[in-house]
Amino acid sequence: MSASYILKRIALIFYTLFVVSILVFGITQILPADAAVMMLGENATQDALDALRTQMGLNDPIWLQYLHWASGVVQGDFGTSLRTGQPVGPALFSALGTSLTLAVLALALMLVLAVPMGILAAVRRGKLSDLVVGFISYIGVSLPEFVTATLAVVLVADLWGLLPPAGYIPLSEDLWGGLQRLILPVCVASVMMIAHVSRMVRSELVDVMHTDYIRAARLKGLTPRRVLFRHGLRNALLPTITIVALDVGYLLGGIIVVEEIFSIPGIGRSLMSAIQARDLPVIQAGVMIMAATYSIVNFAADLMYAWLDKRIQYD
Amino acid sequence: MTDFLRRLLRSPQGALGCLVVGLILIAVVFGPYLTHYGPEDMQALARYKGPSAEHWLGTDQYGRDIFSRLLDGARSTVLMAVVATVIGTLGGAIIGTGSAYLGGRSDEFIMRTNDAVMAIPSLLMALMVVSLLGSNSVNALLAIAIAFMPSMARISRSVALTVRKQDYVSAAIARGEGAPYIVLREMLPNVIAPIVVEMTIRVSFAVMLFATLSFLGLGAQPPATDWGLMVSEARQYLHRSYWILLWPSAAIALTAIGFNLLGDGLRDALNPRT
Amino acid sequence: MPLNRRAFLSSSVALAALATVLPRAVMAQATPEAGGTLRVAVDQAVSVIHPLLTRVNPEYMAAELMYSGLTRLGRDMQAEADLATEWSANDDLTVWTFNLRPGVTFHDGAACTAADVVASFEAILNPDFASPARNNVGPIASIEAVDDVTVRFTLSSSYADFPVALAYNNARIIPASVIEGSFESLRTVANGTGPFKLVSYEPDRLIVVEKNPDYYDPARPYLDRIELHVFPDLGAQVSSLMAGDIDMIATVGPNDYMRLEGQDSIDVLRSASGQFCNVNFGTDIEPFNDPRVRRALALTVDREAMVDFMTEGFGVKGNDTPLNESYPFFEALPQREQNIEEARALLAEAGFPDGFEAELIASDRPAIRVQLAVALREMARAAGITINVTTMPHATYLDQVWTKGAFYVGFYNMQPTPDGILKLLFTSDAAWNETRWNNTTFDDLVARARATVEPAARTDLYTQAQALMNEEVPSIIPAFFDVLGAKRSWMQGYDIHPRASVFRLDHAWLEASAPTRG
Repeated sequence: MSASYILKRIALIFYTLFVVSILVFGITQILPADAAVMMLGENATQDALDALRTQMGLNDPIWLQYLHWASGVVQGDFGTSLRTGQPVGPALFSALGTSLTLAVLALALMLVLAVPMGILAAVRRGKLSDLVVGFISYIGVSLPEFVTATLAVVLVADLWGLLPPAGYIPLSEDLWGGLQRLILPVCVASVMMIAHVSRMVRSELVDVMHTDYIRAARLKGLTPRRVLFRHGLRNALLPTITIVALDVGYLLGGIIVVEEIFSIPGIGRSLMSAIQARDLPVIQAGVMIMAATYSIVNFAADLMYAWLDKRIQYD
Repeated sequence: MTDFLRRLLRSPQGALGCLVVGLILIAVVFGPYLTHYGPEDMQALARYKGPSAEHWLGTDQYGRDIFSRLLDGARSTVLMAVVATVIGTLGGAIIGTGSAYLGGRSDEFIMRTNDAVMAIPSLLMALMVVSLLGSNSVNALLAIAIAFMPSMARISRSVALTVRKQDYVSAAIARGEGAPYIVLREMLPNVIAPIVVEMTIRVSFAVMLFATLSFLGLGAQPPATDWGLMVSEARQYLHRSYWILLWPSAAIALTAIGFNLLGDGLRDALNPRT
Repeated sequence: MPLNRRAFLSSSVALAALATVLPRAVMAQATPEAGGTLRVAVDQAVSVIHPLLTRVNPEYMAAELMYSGLTRLGRDMQAEADLATEWSANDDLTVWTFNLRPGVTFHDGAACTAADVVASFEAILNPDFASPARNNVGPIASIEAVDDVTVRFTLSSSYADFPVALAYNNARIIPASVIEGSFESLRTVANGTGPFKLVSYEPDRLIVVEKNPDYYDPARPYLDRIELHVFPDLGAQVSSLMAGDIDMIATVGPNDYMRLEGQDSIDVLRSASGQFCNVNFGTDIEPFNDPRVRRALALTVDREAMVDFMTEGFGVKGNDTPLNESYPFFEALPQREQNIEEARALLAEAGFPDGFEAELIASDRPAIRVQLAVALREMARAAGITINVTTMPHATYLDQVWTKGAFYVGFYNMQPTPDGILKLLFTSDAAWNETRWNNTTFDDLVARARATVEPAARTDLYTQAQALMNEEVPSIIPAFFDVLGAKRSWMQGYDIHPRASVFRLDHAWLEASAPTRG
């Protein structure tokens, strides 16, 4: 893993953000809504609207508007929300923090459950545990989040009264109360990934255990356990890193639904309400932040992959 | 072909998948003949009814027969998902194979841009496209197709790259055939098998994405019988009758499981290694 | 009943007796206990806290907590004293004088005087600020400060409902210094004379206010703090109330109401109201420019079933006019019922013997709009009319359809007075002229009623106006909704207001048993 590789990857992140910025700016420009009307409401007079349009630069050519916006973004200024009249950046970054808490916990839960499930299924291939894991994963990938979330609230919160049904308290304010309210959303957000990743771990591990490399290790007389953990697992988990990183894109999407149902003020909900209210600056900034998060996670995964890969080569 | 079918049906996933998808196809084709209620017939006096001999799956908030609505919804939900997947796959396959064929700098540029677009989660991409075009089923279909394109492009490209190294492609290039000919006649057909597997699994994802769009109010609109919309509307009547919510949820899950199983079965049948 | 209350306006000196300040509910109950934190669930983000610019009920609630108006709207739809303690008008109701409460201060400590009142109303009337109150506070021609505690409004025409109009949600008093400085600053901070002060504001999650120790009424508010929690998912609201996470839901739907009814230590709240969902015709667009077509469609509506579909029985039938028993000066006309034959005959007469096809547009919020559209589609089918329902996001609807469209669904809160709703929607000079009906006879009736003090004469004018609407049907109004809410039993001193946008949480208090008193 050379410095030039890292530099190239970083350049790619910037290219990604550039492409996304053009895409999202283009889309928001043709959305059927008038930013000035959105800002002043239905009671505005034509004069006031015209004045605001000029002031907001809505009458400028599109490329100039893009340049204005992009140069603001580069300086960390995402503009002003049409809905609340507040600066977009601070609100969205605090929402991002909330969402990241949710996402990181969901990822952690996924890893804790999915990897052992996959190993179990691979090791006991064709046995009952393999079937059970397979069954769970089929169900898991087949239920949309809004169905799982509804069922979870109805059963766990309303019927059994085990956990609070919705709401959000920052962990810094009330750790226990905040965690209680995060349990259901985290579970719901991770279901699909657990199902997907456990299947991937299983099939990678099954593949790896069939390779000559493992056969050679077996022939050397190593115990099956040692073969599995020292040689099989390492090689099988490596591709899983990439899969998990790609799944983060899915997780970020799923979070939109989860935040909506559980009333969590994260970036997904900001985006949803922005899309509903045609709050263009928030849509633009939200999509940029989501894309940046995804790119950075994948960058980190690539670095980790390269690093681990090297270790495996020399092992 | 018969050999392939036999292999497909011998694996448990393949057999189950064929069964479930077959049932769904029957519902899609013969749906309207299986019930004597119209999907929009309202009965003010028979609202929120549980399953009975008269209404097999009960009635909803307007007293509409849920079974009839599910059958009617099968057409829109499943057909839409399949069409969206096919369009998305075709688009992606053209981009991916084209990029692989061009190679070099153009390939690099196309794929980097493609990867960049992939940084937008597909649900979010679909949300933006729908809000741009307006919320209805057809636009949701387009949105899902567009959201699927980048990842399908990536997959087709990697398959195409292996194919490109094959002799018959080199032969065509040596013959001096034009680019469209080579991509469409020589490369695409050989890319198709692995892509069909991916597509089948994607249909289940499309069904769920459709449902989610409808749930967020950006997909099909009332009084459509789209399953996702049915679930979404049913949520507020959950405490009057949970059947309204249960049946369409089950239908979505069953369809998704069916296509997943079928996809896995196809993969095993096409690639007998594992 | 409203008639004799209204009679006070005929004297040149009207006074708001202190007794009317307390809502009925409070007087019937035990002595309020002070202290505690109240948690309220609202179903939409509080995007705007600028009191002159708020637009939806949760925003009105936040503004009401922090700001005062000159008057307030009681549950009986009468004006009550707020910053103004008493008021009077000249004989032709064109010059109104309001006496202000002395010694009131803003949250920052500055005195609130007649100058602030004048500046606030000038800001409201300034089209550049685009306050929704501009069209709702009456025909104000000018306003002047007589002295520090007296303001005088001069109206361009007689207006008997003026004190009630001043209770409009956006007619709040803000410091003159803010208007001269940065008017927009009140989008992020608050500085009013209301019973609570702003502590923190996150539009999509939580608004926290705390007791204003310098509030003009030394006894109120009882609560130390109020938190407004935003729950975009209606089911989550109800679940949280049942779990005891929140103490009160501002408004619930009929199904949630039925779910909560009879639950332990939860009180459901219900009030008859003039809230309605309607189908508007662009009366200048074919085929809806023909009153016979509009009346035919109105005749296809099974109003009994509509009350059931839309309100689950928590409502009453509408008669294609925006007034009902909840309004003063109301007299019922013969109820229009479903009559498919007559509808078909009218259609044939209008040149549509085989019916016609039309696109009905409904915005997606609140969901009841779509429910109305879907139900009407089925009912109209019987008369051969094919309705295709198109749903769109609310923002797109406001931009492209609202006040312009040919056939679309509207939704309105009850207004304080008949004049309020008619002038808002149906006269030629209506702020939101949704139907472009522009009927001069109707305009004249409403204008005359405005200037009429004598209750019987006023009722008669409004009844004539109603009859005209019922005949011409610029809009189908199939049903009115009761407003519904819910609270934990440990919350006291609160009852739901028919207007749905007035809350009076300064009267609310928590019993010792409430878990959120800490």
